Amino acid sequence: MSLFPEERQSELKELFFETAAELLQALNEEALSLEHRPGDAELVREVRRTVHTLKGDSAACGFEELSSLAHDLEDVLTPELARTNGRKLAEIVLAAADVFSSMLDAYRGEAPIPSAAPIREQIRQLVARPEPKNIVPYKLSGRFAWTEYEQIAIERAQNQGQNIYNIALAVDPTCPMKSAAMQLVKNVLCQLGDLLATFPDSSIPAEQIDVMEFAVASSQPQDVFTTKCRIPSIISDVLVETASFAQSVQQEPAIHVHEDPGDVLGIADPNAEASETSASGVSQSTSVKLRVDAERIDAVLNLVGELVIGKSMLMQNISEFDKRFQKDPLRTRFVDALAFQARVLNDLQKSVMKIRMVPVEQLFRRFPRIVRDVAKTCGKEVVLQLSGEETDLDKSILDTLAEPLSHLVRNSVDHGIETSEQRVAAGKTPQGRIRLNAFHQGNQIVIECSDDGAGIDRYKLVSKAVEKGIITRDEAERISDTEALHLIFHPGLSTADEVTAISGRGVGMDIVKSVIEQLKGTISIDSKPGAGTTFLLKVPLTLAIIKALMFRVSDRLYAIPLASVLEIARASASDVHRVDQHEVMQLRDQVLTLIRMGQLVNRGPLPVNKKIFVVVITVADRKFGLIVDRLVGEEELVIKALHDQLAATEFVSGASILGDGSVVLILNLPAIVARLGKAPALMEAVTA
Amino acid sequence: MEQFAALVRAKDNKPLRYLIVDDSIFARKNLAKMLESFGGEVAGEAGDGCTAITEYERLHPDLVLMDITMPQMEGIEAAERIVRQYPQARVVMVSSVGYQENIVAALQKGARHFVQKPVKADVLYEVVRYVMGDDVLTPQTVGAGGQ
Repeated sequence: MSLFPEERQSELKELFFETAAELLQALNEEALSLEHRPGDAELVREVRRTVHTLKGDSAACGFEELSSLAHDLEDVLTPELARTNGRKLAEIVLAAADVFSSMLDAYRGEAPIPSAAPIREQIRQLVARPEPKNIVPYKLSGRFAWTEYEQIAIERAQNQGQNIYNIALAVDPTCPMKSAAMQLVKNVLCQLGDLLATFPDSSIPAEQIDVMEFAVASSQPQDVFTTKCRIPSIISDVLVETASFAQSVQQEPAIHVHEDPGDVLGIADPNAEASETSASGVSQSTSVKLRVDAERIDAVLNLVGELVIGKSMLMQNISEFDKRFQKDPLRTRFVDALAFQARVLNDLQKSVMKIRMVPVEQLFRRFPRIVRDVAKTCGKEVVLQLSGEETDLDKSILDTLAEPLSHLVRNSVDHGIETSEQRVAAGKTPQGRIRLNAFHQGNQIVIECSDDGAGIDRYKLVSKAVEKGIITRDEAERISDTEALHLIFHPGLSTADEVTAISGRGVGMDIVKSVIEQLKGTISIDSKPGAGTTFLLKVPLTLAIIKALMFRVSDRLYAIPLASVLEIARASASDVHRVDQHEVMQLRDQVLTLIRMGQLVNRGPLPVNKKIFVVVITVADRKFGLIVDRLVGEEELVIKALHDQLAATEFVSGASILGDGSVVLILNLPAIVARLGKAPALMEAVTA
Repeated sequence: MEQFAALVRAKDNKPLRYLIVDDSIFARKNLAKMLESFGGEVAGEAGDGCTAITEYERLHPDLVLMDITMPQMEGIEAAERIVRQYPQARVVMVSSVGYQENIVAALQKGARHFVQKPVKADVLYEVVRYVMGDDVLTPQTVGAGGQ
C-alpha cells in the first residue's frame, strides 16, 4: 500500500528509520528487563507498546515483512503468557529485535529481506495457536427474544407512545476489537433513544459475538437508526424493524457464537484468555513457572523459622551433653550431624528467602519517569543514573520502600538540583545528575540516592531549627554536621513551608524516616554545599530472620541487629565522663556518647568499680556506645512480631525465642537512640 | 495514492480542522498526511494529553484524533476532560487491538469512535464522515475521481 507520492514517502521513511532505531533500543532494554522479571505484567505491556508502535510505523511505510512480524510478536505479548512462560518470551523478544534490526538494515540498503521464518516458528510454538476458525457467513436476521423483564420495559415504553425498534447488528468479522465495538454501538444507541434490551448480555465474551440485538425506545424515525448504526469498520450489516409486541417469550435466546466445533458456549475456546494459561503455558514451557500465593511462602518461611529455633535447641542440649560426657565418642558424631543439619537448614532458609526476593530494579524502574516528569515541571535538566538494579530484596520491603524513595528522588530533582543557569554559573554541567544505587552490605541492602545539586545549607537549617524551638541556641552552637543535617527529619521542621524554600528538603522527610525505621532500617545524609546530597537508606534484606548480638542488662536478655554493631569495647567506670549532660567516653580518637541500657529497665546506676562493656553501634551515621552488663553472644533470631498490647514501648521492635525456650527482646535502636541519646533530663533522673 | 472526496464543513464550506494527539511524531505525520488527503486541515498536534487539552481549548477543532498510550496524561483522561468541558467535542480514539479495554473506557467517557492502528486511510475517512454526520459535506466538484 503506497499512500503518498514518492518524495513524501522517502521523507517518511527517513523519519521511520530514525524512530525505529530508538524503538529497537528500547525494545532491547525492555526485553532484558523482562528476562529479569519474567512475570511482570507492566513490563510486558511496555514491550507490547514498543512492538506495537514499531508495527504501526512500519506498516505505514509499507514495510510489510517487518510489520507482520511485529504483529505476530505483539499477539503473544500478553501478561498471561509472560506469567507462564516469561523467560522464553523475553528470549523471543530479544531474538525478534535482532531480526527487526537486520530487516531495517535490509530496507535501508535495499538488500533482500532476511527471512523471519525461524522466529515466527518460535512465536508459533510459544502459543500453539489454534487453527484459524472458519467464519461462517451469517445471514442477518433478528431473533429478538427478550427476557420477561425486558418485555415489561418494552411494553411500558410502548404504552407511553414511543416508537420501539428492534435492531440487529452484524459485527464486522474483521473487526478486531469487539468489546470496544459493543461499547460504541451502545453509545450510539443511547444517543438516539432509551436502550431497553440488549442481547447478548455482558456474560458472553465480546470476542465471540457475531450479532448484537437491541430494543430501543426512541422518537427518531427508523432511517436515522439505519444510518447511525452503519458504523464504518465495525458493523457490517444492519437490520432495524419496528417492534410489534407481543412476541413469544418462550423461545430461549440462542447464543451467537462462532461455529466452533466442540465449543460449548465458548468456554473451551483456546483463544480465550482464561484458558490460555493452562493450554499453552504448562505444555509448552520447559522451565515451568508457578504463581504462588505470598501467604504460602510465608507459611514455609515461618516453619523454617521454627526449625531454626529447633536447631538452637539441639545446639544447647548438645553443648550440655558435651559438658557431661566429655569422653563419649558419640559426642563428635552429634556435632557432625548437627553441623550437617545446620548447613542444610541454612540453605533451606536461603532458598525460601530467595523466593521472596525480587531485584531492586522493580523499584528503580519507576524513577526515570518520575525524574523526567518532575524535572519537566520544574524546568530543569536532570539525568538519572541507575546502578545495582539486579540487587535482590524482599518483596514486601521493596514495596514499602517505593514511597519514601520516590519522595527522596522527587525532592532531589525539585530542590536539590539547581536550574541550568545556576549550575552553569556554579561551574557545573547544565544537566543535573541523580544517581540511584543499590548494593548488599552484610545482611542489609543499601540504597543510595545522590544528586550533584546545591547541597543542604546546614546553617540555615540549624537557624531555622532554633527559630522553631526544636533545638536551643546553645545546642545549635555545638551541633555536629551530621546532627545538623538530621534536623531535616524533624517533623516540626518538615511541615514548615518556609524551610522548604530555604533548605530545599523538608516536606514529609519525617515520614520518610519513620517508614524506613518501621522496616528496621536507617537513613543517613551526607551533603556538601555546592556539591550535592547523598541519602543512604539501609534496610535489612529480610524482615524475618536477623543476625543479632545478645546481651544482658539487669539479668534481662536483649538483642540488637548485628549489622548495626561496629565493635565492642571494655572500659572501666572511670573512663566515663560527663559533657553537657551526656555521658561520654573517649574511644581512641573519638568521643562516644554513651547510653546506659540500664535505664531501659529503670534499675538505677551500675556499680561503680566494675569494668563495663560498651557495645559501639551506628545508627544513621552516628556512633553511640551502649553500656550493657554482660554479653551473651551472636545468634540468628527468628523475629516474631509482637502485638501492640505486648509491646507497649517503641523501644522493642520484636521478640524471638531461643533454643532453651527463653524469650529475647529485639531492641529498636533508632528509637532508643532518639530517646535516651538525647534526653539528658531523663538521664539525670535515672542516674542521680 | 487513493483519492478521497474532500470533506468540508456543512456550516461554512471550509476544510475540517483536526487536532492530532499522539506521542509518536511519526504517527502524527502519518495521520496528518491522511487527513490532508481528505481535504482537511491539521489545526494542531499534541504529543501528550495535557497539551491536547490546552490545544483543544485554543483551537476548537472539529475533530480530535487521540492516541491512548501517551506520557504525562493518557488519551483516555484527556478525552474525558475535553468532553466534560466541551460536550460537543468529537474525539476519536486511535489505538491498537491490545488496548481494547482502554478504548471501551474511553468510549464510556465520551469518545465518539475509535480506529485501529495501523490506521487505514479508507477506514479513517469513513469514520470521520460517520462521526461528523450531518456537519460534513462532500462537494460534488471535489469528489471527481473519488473512489
